[in-house]
Amino acid sequence: MRGNLSWQPDFEELVDEHQSMVFSLALRMTGDRGLAEELAQDVLLELDRNLNKIKSADHARFWLRQVALHRSADALRRKRANAAALGTDVWVELEERHGFMERDSESPLGVRIEELLATLPESQRAALVLRYQEDLTPEEIAVTTQSPVATVKSQLQRGLKLLRMRASQTLKEYVRGA
Amino acid sequence: MEHNELNEQELQEFERKLRTAMSRRAAPLGLKTRVLAQAHERRQGQRRRWWMIERIAATVLLAAAVGGFVEYRHLEEVRKGEAAKEQVLTALRITGRTMGRVQERLSEDR
Repeated sequence: MRGNLSWQPDFEELVDEHQSMVFSLALRMTGDRGLAEELAQDVLLELDRNLNKIKSADHARFWLRQVALHRSADALRRKRANAAALGTDVWVELEERHGFMERDSESPLGVRIEELLATLPESQRAALVLRYQEDLTPEEIAVTTQSPVATVKSQLQRGLKLLRMRASQTLKEYVRGA
Repeated sequence: MEHNELNEQELQEFERKLRTAMSRRAAPLGLKTRVLAQAHERRQGQRRRWWMIERIAATVLLAAAVGGFVEYRHLEEVRKGEAAKEQVLTALRITGRTMGRVQERLSEDR
């Protein structure tokens, strides 16, 4: 990370620059647009509260990714607990919610990939989102998720394999055709 | 299984498509405005809290200064009163002694 002693955080600029990243991470981790919006808002407000601890633009990006992932994981855990208490299946609910997403503005593959992502285990989903949405290397993912690099590589491999398998069953025309 | 038939090139193609499909989504309209408004509100609240704390601290300080001054004046008065009392007692002692001597002389003259 590049340290910059003269770096002065400008909250508005940071929100402008990172709101899409934070929202997309939350959306792909939770699969719920409303919840993702709430999470993105909370994460950005938490950044405001911790602005004095942020040392550089890179640090801000890293911090936001990490907090967005943690918050999303917490929200999923709460959701699962609520679903268990109500006797509903959170994954069924997630898939149903994905069905209500705005499909018009998104590519069919993008929407379908998000639906399939929602069915992957949380750790694999996080690794795939960081790899393909954020374009992070396995080493960078390991630092963000505070996991060993070998674990991240294995999660990426398994997640990709599982996603590819599910995609090949339902998205054959996109995977092999185009 | 279908996926086993995919070769390395197809896997790379899948990864490329995945990367494209997983590009960042645009943030919802109004998210930035809401966040900035709430951050502004929080800062205002924080400023109001600090202003209150400053006012309370200033009031406590002023009350302590006034109380200290009043107490000092009271102690000063007590000290002055004690000194005056001491002076009166000394004067009375001197007078008593003088009266005693006068009494002695009068007795001797008789």
